[in-house]
Amino acid sequence: MRGADYVIKRTAFALITIFVAITLNFVLFRALPGSAVSDLARVPHATPQLKAALTKEFGLDKPMWEQYLLYLKELTHGNFGVSYVNQQPVWNNLRTALGNTIPMVLLGTLIAMVLGIFTGVVSAWRRGTAVDHASTNLAIAFYAVPTQWLGLVLIIVFAKYLPTYGRTNVYLLAPTFWQHLKDVMIHMLMPSTTLALTLYGEYTLIVRSAMLETLGEDYVLTARAKGLTGWAVVRDHAFRNAMLPTVTLMALSLGYVVAGAILVEAVFSWPGIGRAVYESVFNNDYPMLQGAFLILTLSVVFFNFVADLLYFRLDPRITA
Amino acid sequence: MKKWLLGVVVLFLVSSACSSGVDTGSKTGGFLRLAASDFIDSMNPYVGQNDDAYSAYQYIYPYLVQFESKTLDYVPDFATSWETSKDQLTWTFHLAEGAKWSDGQPLTSADVAWSYNTDIKFQDGPTAGSAGSIAHLTKVTTPDDHTAVLHYSQPVPMVLANAQQVAILPEHIWGQYAAGDGKALKTFSNLPATGQPVVSGGPFMVTEFKPDEVAIFEKNPNYYGTPAIIDRFALTYFSNEDAEITAIKTGQLDAIESVPVTSVQTLQDAGVNVFKGPGLTERDFIINSNPNRTTHRELLDPKVREAFEYAIDRQKIVATAWLGYADPAAAVVPPATGDWHDASIQPLPFDLAKANALLDEAGYKKGSDGIRIGLDGPMAYDVLFPGSERGAGDRAFQIIQSDFLQIGVKLTQRPMGGGAVFSLMADDNYKTFDLAMWNWTPPIDPDFVLSVLTCKQYGNWSDSGYCNPAYDNLYAAQGSEMDPQKRLQIVYEMQKMIYNDRPYIMLTYGQTIDAWTPKWDGFVQSVQGLFPFISKESLTQVHQV
Repeated sequence: MRGADYVIKRTAFALITIFVAITLNFVLFRALPGSAVSDLARVPHATPQLKAALTKEFGLDKPMWEQYLLYLKELTHGNFGVSYVNQQPVWNNLRTALGNTIPMVLLGTLIAMVLGIFTGVVSAWRRGTAVDHASTNLAIAFYAVPTQWLGLVLIIVFAKYLPTYGRTNVYLLAPTFWQHLKDVMIHMLMPSTTLALTLYGEYTLIVRSAMLETLGEDYVLTARAKGLTGWAVVRDHAFRNAMLPTVTLMALSLGYVVAGAILVEAVFSWPGIGRAVYESVFNNDYPMLQGAFLILTLSVVFFNFVADLLYFRLDPRITA
Repeated sequence: MKKWLLGVVVLFLVSSACSSGVDTGSKTGGFLRLAASDFIDSMNPYVGQNDDAYSAYQYIYPYLVQFESKTLDYVPDFATSWETSKDQLTWTFHLAEGAKWSDGQPLTSADVAWSYNTDIKFQDGPTAGSAGSIAHLTKVTTPDDHTAVLHYSQPVPMVLANAQQVAILPEHIWGQYAAGDGKALKTFSNLPATGQPVVSGGPFMVTEFKPDEVAIFEKNPNYYGTPAIIDRFALTYFSNEDAEITAIKTGQLDAIESVPVTSVQTLQDAGVNVFKGPGLTERDFIINSNPNRTTHRELLDPKVREAFEYAIDRQKIVATAWLGYADPAAAVVPPATGDWHDASIQPLPFDLAKANALLDEAGYKKGSDGIRIGLDGPMAYDVLFPGSERGAGDRAFQIIQSDFLQIGVKLTQRPMGGGAVFSLMADDNYKTFDLAMWNWTPPIDPDFVLSVLTCKQYGNWSDSGYCNPAYDNLYAAQGSEMDPQKRLQIVYEMQKMIYNDRPYIMLTYGQTIDAWTPKWDGFVQSVQGLFPFISKESLTQVHQV
């Protein structure tokens, strides 16, 4: 019964968060100075007619509350609107950008998780040794390095061996499926590695400190007293209990995968969602921004919800 | 066996003779890999706004006329010749005969008429973007398949300039979208599908398009003009200039348009050809000139404006901000437009003593902090600074800022997006903004850049609040003067008026900087660089060495 209460509460909370975010998305971008019309119409061929036509076309001549109601109405029908810039449905634009972003960012995030958890566990297990110092300091160093700097260094060092830009070799005409797959993987290598290196340090540090806490618990002492070996203690007794803070971090990271990685995408000319959002801000492309942030909201709320449910599973105390 | 060997030897000799013959001239075929400067925002000509989009349309669609890149004369494109009636109200264009679209459908005067008449029909709606190019055009008729007649309600001197900007679209593809209110003209994506290129009439057709990634242009076998030498080219988007430079140095790219000035030396050192030439982009220092402005009215004082110009060190801006790849500017019509530029207008020399003397003379005394007192408080001004000025523009601002301090004027940079700048200027009808820095990249005909300073452009393209009835009269006169020499004199007079009134203090004229590897040659360099939208010459003539 308590479990059902918990799930219902978390669900209600998630839904309210989404509604508030939808409203904020509408208000925030309109609070920006400037308008899409003055941006789009400052071109050599422009005429006063163009400005008037665009204002009408985008519905910006209507009062704000009417625009808001229209926006809510369209959203309930699953319609994200049409981008001001390229006049194509927002969902089509976002789908393309997300399709480009998710594999690269997900790969980077997963590498960061595996590398971070592994180095964190090893650091805790070998606490105070040279291995711990080296691993911790390296993690802090990568965590502190600006992403764009690391990306540029990788480009300069590996330019001769790996592609430095784009998602695929665009000059490969009519590739087979396997050629294409290989091509995409090679192109993902540098951006995903950049992302992984800048992200993994956070995992190392959090996993290390969580592990150290659990390794100091009485039940670990008991396990050792039972004669279990070091690694078995770490794996079976300390690690699972150290997972709670790590799960939070993983859920947050996964939630943000759909936000893309603006800096990595910019450095490696990756046509992803981060860059699409960045350009939409400059163009005051409200429908694109609303759509992208709605997806981000849904994703973050969803993964947090999953984390909440996992807590429930991982830690029986939560129901209490 | 011997016969076989002899055959091989003969084949080898023939093929080496052929290839040595090719080496002296141009190799046909090949795939040119070109990096984009701002990429194609839409393949739909009713939607696209970026320079690269206009260039893409130039290479896939017929236009009646084009520019000759060097002389800037109008030369044939789809129209092989043209003439005008005595009353100058009718322009007759004779078109290339037997032309076809890339899908084999006939390309005729009907397509010309449809394109123009659609622009006329929806000029207050979906086709408003080209309303300027069809001003005073009433209709287009077609006496036969290869003649198009443009009918005007009054003589227009810019008919050819406008014709150079209207893409002829295939009616059999686009006609269905012009039904009803014509809104579908803008929502049609005009993208290629597998095995189905965008139906094109120009030297190339787009076979692949990925937003913010790449567009592939294949040679159009049905092109009515001289065919391209290369087989295809790709326009690739880069969001990182350093990666772009690295890519061309490591052989991942063949050519770059708009090379950043800081990379010129690096490329030259790496053996990449770098071309520099006069460009159309000009950068200006804007003084709000609205005669009805409510604050800081001292900025309307001609002596203050003159002092400001004396305090701007253009040479230093060129040398430091642009590393020498720009020229000091004075007239509002840039020299890259050819004869339209009034070369007699020269910038004032940099002279802080003279600037101080002018401000002293005008009675603006310095306060205790060294800042002069204007009509309502210290002469301290915000300089609105749009995103497109970032980079070299920041360095230019810093130079102006430190020199202005020495004449007792304090400037504060206000960086923001272009739309935000425009809002701050126009939302209160140019009552309160003081100064700004911005740029124009005008078309070659001066009509547009002169129009932005007319009273009518308040709330539209005016970024200076300038409003002068005498200037507006001249603008109207140049817009109907059919004698080219007389029109030129009016255009010169307008440039002098702007120079003297100083709504803009022109800072620099930009240069186009393009780069390509030694494996390629034949790019036709123009005021818009190697991928222009004024002509089809460059990428039809480029070839492998």
